Amino acid sequence: MLDVRSKARVTRRAIFLPIALLVLLAVLSMVLSVTQGSVALSPSAVWQALQGQGSILNQTVVMELRLPRVLSAFATGGLLALAGALMQILLRNPLADPYVLGISGGASVAALAAILLGLTGLLMSGMAFIGAALSTLLVFGLAGQLSHNSTLRLLLTGVVIAAGWGALITLILALAPPDKLPGMLYWLMGDLAYAHTPWLAWLVLVPVTVLLVPLGRSLNLLARGPMQAAALGVNVKGLERLVFIVASLLTAVAVTTAGSVGFVGLVVPHMLRLVLGNDQRLILPASALAGGCLVTLADTLARTVIAPEQLPVGVITALLGVPTFLYLLQRGRV
Amino acid sequence: MMIKITAFARILIGLLLSWVPLGAHAEQRCVIDDKAREVCLDKPAQRIAALSPGATELIFAAGAGAQVVAVVSYSDYPPAAQQITSVGSHTRLDLERLIALQPDLVLAWGTGNPSEQIDTLKRLGLPVYYVEPHEFGDIADNIVNMAVLAGTEPEGRAEAQRFRRGIAALQQRYQGAAPVPTFYQVWDSPLMSTNGEHYISKVVSLCGGENVFADADRLIPRLSQEVVLLRNPEVIVAGGMGERNAHWLEAWRAFPELLATQRDNLFFVPPSLIQRPTPRLLDGAAILCEKLDQARARRPF
Repeated sequence: MLDVRSKARVTRRAIFLPIALLVLLAVLSMVLSVTQGSVALSPSAVWQALQGQGSILNQTVVMELRLPRVLSAFATGGLLALAGALMQILLRNPLADPYVLGISGGASVAALAAILLGLTGLLMSGMAFIGAALSTLLVFGLAGQLSHNSTLRLLLTGVVIAAGWGALITLILALAPPDKLPGMLYWLMGDLAYAHTPWLAWLVLVPVTVLLVPLGRSLNLLARGPMQAAALGVNVKGLERLVFIVASLLTAVAVTTAGSVGFVGLVVPHMLRLVLGNDQRLILPASALAGGCLVTLADTLARTVIAPEQLPVGVITALLGVPTFLYLLQRGRV
Repeated sequence: MMIKITAFARILIGLLLSWVPLGAHAEQRCVIDDKAREVCLDKPAQRIAALSPGATELIFAAGAGAQVVAVVSYSDYPPAAQQITSVGSHTRLDLERLIALQPDLVLAWGTGNPSEQIDTLKRLGLPVYYVEPHEFGDIADNIVNMAVLAGTEPEGRAEAQRFRRGIAALQQRYQGAAPVPTFYQVWDSPLMSTNGEHYISKVVSLCGGENVFADADRLIPRLSQEVVLLRNPEVIVAGGMGERNAHWLEAWRAFPELLATQRDNLFFVPPSLIQRPTPRLLDGAAILCEKLDQARARRPF
């Protein structure tokens, strides 16, 4: 006879340990990232600068350049991985990622149009967000009401709309004046060089992650299939709609912060499932943390590995993620 | 006693120094940059960051090469520029490294550098001067402006004068020359040229050439081979990234119906002499003018 209470306690510990480890890893990755850069700063110099002491130069480098970028990198990774995990549950398709439903396509077209019009900074981010929101509404409207067996319809609608955005992106790139091309390509590959305002991303990431945890049980049931979930008393239609809207919001904010950073949303949740199993109460917050770590470390490399040349962060996330993922897959837990 | 003298000297120096800012303020140096912004410095710039290969050439031409502390990739001329610390490519700057070099003047490339990064530099209080020459006159003006900001007016004005005179001499020499329909090939795949607005086209005109794509809508139009055959240029001039791309020109030999192919008027002009708006444009122009003269000499009548 299994005592129900003790089982609950075991589960809680099984969730708590990996999360605590990942939080530690997250803090370490951000500390590492803030201490690395073209200007060699000792950890104590960084600490002084964070407290508003030390030379003006050190303070500028840490407070104006590094810290906003590190915080943006972490939040972007967290948002994308969380959105990916949600999309994979919603679509019950292991290939789903935050971009599969055309959200980044809509954001990209809007952002490239903004670059073409010479808009910068907040105006460009705003356009990207509007593009992402428009694309979401378009997919949602065209796919019709989410209901039994409708995720296939949603997936197809999204994929086709994404292909349409892709064609528009190519058109804009072909017509763009040469001096605007580098900026556009960097944006499409994901780039944190412009990320100065991490606060929006954090304001979305933290509450959403926390609020999703109580939904974990229902999401676990949904992941097994809508019929089962409905039979066990889950409001499938409402939950699917919520998941879709939340995942879209997360993606829109991520894309607005750093352009379309690829690969994180697809691979981070899968990696975690290979190691930690498929309990959404654990996988969702773990994805947010691990995604944040991956992009933070990747961006640290992107701005230092061949400095002074700067790489787009998307290149590094893929180069780091692919071998890690293949290794985990080969180790054979799935 | 010694100590007293030193103390007295300190006071004297202090008094003198307190006068310096006032004097300098009276001599604040102001110029108008290529974005029509006024850029003012209280004292000559001593630590200059040049964020495009062209800006680097111009600041050296202005006589202030020794004051340059930061350049970007491909800043290969003059050779001394290659020894200066690079702060990344012009499309993505390593801002940390740039700020660590503590520049007191930034020469930015309006359409080349990412505007967000330049805005960050402005936000941090660095004086930014935009370099974006479109005409021969702009090149000379930029040299003078940079010399004013860097406190090297005599050198800068002399170099600007030399450049203006060189261009004027070519202008005078070729103003009556027989026009030569010319295709300037910027790139081969995709095939690209320039329209009449571009300074490369202005060099072609200077030498009495007629850019066959002067009427194109876009500054750098992308073209098909077909439209080149249609315009049937008498001369094809190739540029490109490297200094050797004979195969670009060889490719045109496949079209014997082209006038340029028939008369063997397929010419190479080193791209760094003609594709950068710097004083070296004068050297590029001299070579191009000579090539167009060759083409005129090959005319059967």
